[in-house]
Amino acid sequence: METTSTNEAVTNHAVNSPSQSRAMLAADNLTKRYEDGVLALDHVTFEVNQGHIYAMLGGNGAGKTTTINLFLNFIEPTEGEARINGIVTHKEPLRAKEKIAFVSENVMLYPNFTALQNLDFFARLGGQTGYSKDDYREVLLRVGLQEEAHNKRLKGFSKGMRQKCGIAIAILKDAPAILLDEPTSGLDPKAGFEFIRLLESLRDEGKAILMSTHDIFRARDIADTIGIMNQGRIVMQSQKSDIAGEDLEKLYMKYMAGYMEQVN
Amino acid sequence: MLKYIIEKELRDMISSTKFVVTFAICAVLILLAFYTGAQNYRVSQSQYQAAKTENLRQLEGLTDWIMVRNFRIFLPPEPLAALVTGISNDIGRSVTVQGRGELATQDSRFSDEPVFAVFRFLDLDFIFQIVLSLFAILFAYDAINGEKERGTLRLTFANAVPRAQYILGKIIGSFLALAVPVLLAILLGCLLLPLLGVHLNGDEWLRLGLMIFAGLLYFGVFLMLAVFISSLTHRTSSSFLLLLVIWIFSVLIIPRTAVLLAGRAVDVPSVDEIASQKNRLRSQLWSEDRKKMSEFKPTQNGDPQTMVSEFNKFMSEAADEREKKMNELASRLNEDRHNKQAVQEKLAFGLARLSPAAAFSMATTNLAGTSMDMKAHFLSEAQAYQKTYAEFMQSKTGMNIGGGAMVFRMRSGDGEEDVEKPIDAKELPEFNYAGLPLDRVVGAALPDLGILALFNLLFFAGAFVAFLRYDLR
Amino acid sequence: MLKILIEKELKAIILSPKFSATFSVCAILIVLSVFIGLRDYQAAVAQYETATTLSNQEMREQTSWMSLNTRAYREPDPMQIFVAGVQNDVGRLSSINAFSQIKLENSNYSDEPIFAVFRFIDLTFIVQIVLSLFAILFTYDAINGEREGGTLQLTFANAVPRVQYILAKFIGSWLGLVLPLLIPLLIGLLLLLLFRVPMTGDHWAKLFTLIGASFLYFTFFIALGLLVSALTKRSTTSFMFLLVAWVTLVLIVPRAGVMLAGQITPVPTVAEIDGQREGYAKERWKQHMDALTERWEERNAGLQNLTAEEREAFRDDHSWDWMKEDEEERKLVQRDISEYDRKLNEDLRNRKATQERLGFLLSRFSPASSYQLAAMHLAGTDISIKPEYEDAMRDYRDKFISYREQKQKEEGGGMAGGFRIEFNSDTGMKISGDRDSGAIDVTDVPVFEAPQYRFAAGLLPAMPDFGLLTLYTLLAFAAGFVAFLRYDVR
Repeated sequence: METTSTNEAVTNHAVNSPSQSRAMLAADNLTKRYEDGVLALDHVTFEVNQGHIYAMLGGNGAGKTTTINLFLNFIEPTEGEARINGIVTHKEPLRAKEKIAFVSENVMLYPNFTALQNLDFFARLGGQTGYSKDDYREVLLRVGLQEEAHNKRLKGFSKGMRQKCGIAIAILKDAPAILLDEPTSGLDPKAGFEFIRLLESLRDEGKAILMSTHDIFRARDIADTIGIMNQGRIVMQSQKSDIAGEDLEKLYMKYMAGYMEQVN
Repeated sequence: MLKYIIEKELRDMISSTKFVVTFAICAVLILLAFYTGAQNYRVSQSQYQAAKTENLRQLEGLTDWIMVRNFRIFLPPEPLAALVTGISNDIGRSVTVQGRGELATQDSRFSDEPVFAVFRFLDLDFIFQIVLSLFAILFAYDAINGEKERGTLRLTFANAVPRAQYILGKIIGSFLALAVPVLLAILLGCLLLPLLGVHLNGDEWLRLGLMIFAGLLYFGVFLMLAVFISSLTHRTSSSFLLLLVIWIFSVLIIPRTAVLLAGRAVDVPSVDEIASQKNRLRSQLWSEDRKKMSEFKPTQNGDPQTMVSEFNKFMSEAADEREKKMNELASRLNEDRHNKQAVQEKLAFGLARLSPAAAFSMATTNLAGTSMDMKAHFLSEAQAYQKTYAEFMQSKTGMNIGGGAMVFRMRSGDGEEDVEKPIDAKELPEFNYAGLPLDRVVGAALPDLGILALFNLLFFAGAFVAFLRYDLR
Repeated sequence: MLKILIEKELKAIILSPKFSATFSVCAILIVLSVFIGLRDYQAAVAQYETATTLSNQEMREQTSWMSLNTRAYREPDPMQIFVAGVQNDVGRLSSINAFSQIKLENSNYSDEPIFAVFRFIDLTFIVQIVLSLFAILFTYDAINGEREGGTLQLTFANAVPRVQYILAKFIGSWLGLVLPLLIPLLIGLLLLLLFRVPMTGDHWAKLFTLIGASFLYFTFFIALGLLVSALTKRSTTSFMFLLVAWVTLVLIVPRAGVMLAGQITPVPTVAEIDGQREGYAKERWKQHMDALTERWEERNAGLQNLTAEEREAFRDDHSWDWMKEDEEERKLVQRDISEYDRKLNEDLRNRKATQERLGFLLSRFSPASSYQLAAMHLAGTDISIKPEYEDAMRDYRDKFISYREQKQKEEGGGMAGGFRIEFNSDTGMKISGDRDSGAIDVTDVPVFEAPQYRFAAGLLPAMPDFGLLTLYTLLAFAAGFVAFLRYDVR
């Protein structure tokens, strides 16, 4: 794959160019080349402000999870940087991580702990030591986990229930930024819908939310900004208002195809 | 259908890295066991020869058989005993023969060289009993439930596969995949023996073959057990845990505990008590004889030479008389002890055989001739030799001089006869130790082989039944 | 943060289903091993007491000092409950008399081979084999298991320093696995009190140090488990690897090390040594007999020209001196022989020591050997039990013999209990029977005093092994630490 200069492929639909503004989440020329030579992320730049949801769209291997891993400092960038509240993640990972909550594609918790025990551990790990049992119950009810499951071990939980616990943990941490890695994949429609409502309420509380997803329609429903990724680059980025009337599916296919043509 | 399943099982096992690693380790260990066994055999062989030569050398320069008061015989090392050590290092390796009296084994290897007793030896019995059983478990603990966890079980049974054939194929396949490489390593080890200078005779090859057969049976027990447990449980982690606990108990705990507890439950009179009773009788008899001695009067005063030989005869007869009385007591005491020991043994080994590891160990030690019988057999062989020895001495000196008899020799004062011819030590009858005969060895091992086969059958049936009712979802 | 992580670790261990299963197995085994050791110790004490009583009784029944012999027994020690060591392999007793060598004979295993078939089960065995397996079972997936379970990601999405995390893992698993073991150990100690085992302060010190060594050994396997699980991505891989490492370290290396050393440095067998000794003794006695014959000829030469009565009178005058002279000579021979024997033993012992040093050095590549050797040294059931007892018995033999000789002298003529056979050309053969007058008084016979294993004396040789165990543990932990700092948590 030939990589020429980056940003000519990115179509900037009236997005502010990246700057040192106090965006909650910022990727600045973020690049990751793995040891085996694969270029997973190629000079990606974007920002997410407080009270905004940024949805990364893209197929498998587009670089969405790599981006999230870079924000979490699970890997170090080859070039550029990811910032959380202005803190460069790979320079001060611990300070940066105080500011983010993370929900993975497939939330896995300690199978021998009950939901409440898991919540308690991760909340305290996130620096929130003041919660009571009732607070945990309240949050679990808010995310839609029925009361009778609260004291059950995680072993028997379905994927939907685990995702609910995951988002509950994120809520409990009460961090200004939330990273979500394909949080709705594998959820039934009802659970997916409830999940979206929950995200909206979190946004309204002023969280900056970065999510990756395969789901074009949900992205359009909820995201304030959509970035379409392909082969490690953002090939299109647009505000919700700009694409409100358009057929996002067509747009997505168009950009993917167009990008492929351009590369070839 | 069966063929496909077996084929798949074989391929599945052989292509895993786990297989390569474990097989390499097992092969190295088995070869190591053969190698060290052969080395040990050669070392003991040369020690044995040295001891024997030294023993004869001491007779050099003696001019009269009367001066030979005792003679030491040694247990010759056997190659099979080096491969499966059993109790061969715990019992004494030599016996001092005097011509009469009870015999005792002396100088066990572990007592002489306790450095080897600290960690004991790495023999075939150990490798099979501990390492191979562990590996059997490692390979078969997820035979059924692993396929379920991976989802391949559902896919398989979406086809028209009879369950009975599936489980049969599973067991046959995994047994072949694991047993054949092990067998290859063992055969390689057997080839190593002649190369290292250890030559087995036909009987010994047969016994070694039976030992390997016992090993395969034992390996089968743990394989079947693992398949059985894995078709009783739904998660691989729980089947592995359960199997590990069973392994610890049957290999490490049950045999030892059974023998230690059952052994202590039956009160066998201690060696010391018996020895003490014998000592007391001996000194009592001796003091009686001393009185008789002072009453001894030679038939005629005159030639000292005749007087001495008359006295010697008198003493020899007295010793014979004493021995008869001693033997009466000894056989009474020993019989009691033997009976109690037999009860103890029955109880202890009966309990220990709840564990296949114990049954295997007894089968192989019996086949190798290093079981509990080893000591008794060595002693009875020595006893038989003592008879020959006594007869020989009788023929040479006219009396049985050993075992508490007192012998006096006249040295003529003038020194003109000092050109006495030294005795030829080679005339002494040789101790030809005949190991346990083949039929006895095999006969002793049969019950344990039967137990192993029974365990196999039991766990196979268990696995079969359990799988027929297995929840495939 | 550290506290939160440790708490979680403890909870995770105790809540896991394997915990209750393995914990109960270990608890049962520990208590069982103490119980069996106790029963065995009691049996040994009973045997020892009967044996010494019988041996004393035999002495009392002797009617002459000359035939007074005895036996010295190895005394059972309560520490053998926990560390059997080689005490069942080494002989229990040696006969004490002027004519035979000191040699520990009648080992438990050769007397009762039934117990040698499967050998012993003691606390050291349980710790060495079962607990180490137990430690591996709980730590093999400490890191990679959390990765596979996805919880590692979630944890490190928070502001968790890696150093604290790995430290918490270590401390948490240590506490979670070690603290429960204290319960069966305490039950075992209670059993000791219940059965009134005579434990001195020294014994308790040894026992607690032994428990400390056990925990150190256990810690090594926890650290090893952490290390391997921080080096591998998949828990099945790490388990496989650890099991292989366990088999090698616990079962193979100790045996292979000693066997290898045995082949590198061969030691002459007892039979060869005995042969040399007997050869020398025979030679020496022959010399003595020759000299004796010569002396008698000389003495007789002085009688040539006397009448029968004069001869008789002369003999009566001198016979006592002559006998004394001969007796001195005989003692000299005995001294020479025991001197030679000492030299042979010294030589043998040196060569054995070389072999042992090499063997143990090689096997110490495994912490399992280090642990076992340390335990045996502490308990006084290591291989030095044999030379130490034999030395003590040799000293005792000297004491016993000189006591006996002194008594013999005191009670007249050195002849009591013996008999004398005389030939002379005048009277022919004459056997003078014993002059003994019933039993002898042996109340003040010296008593064998077993070598005492003080705590400090056991601790000193155990120190290198303690050091090694600590070193191995630190190495494993440090490597695990470093490995985790570079671990890919995704």
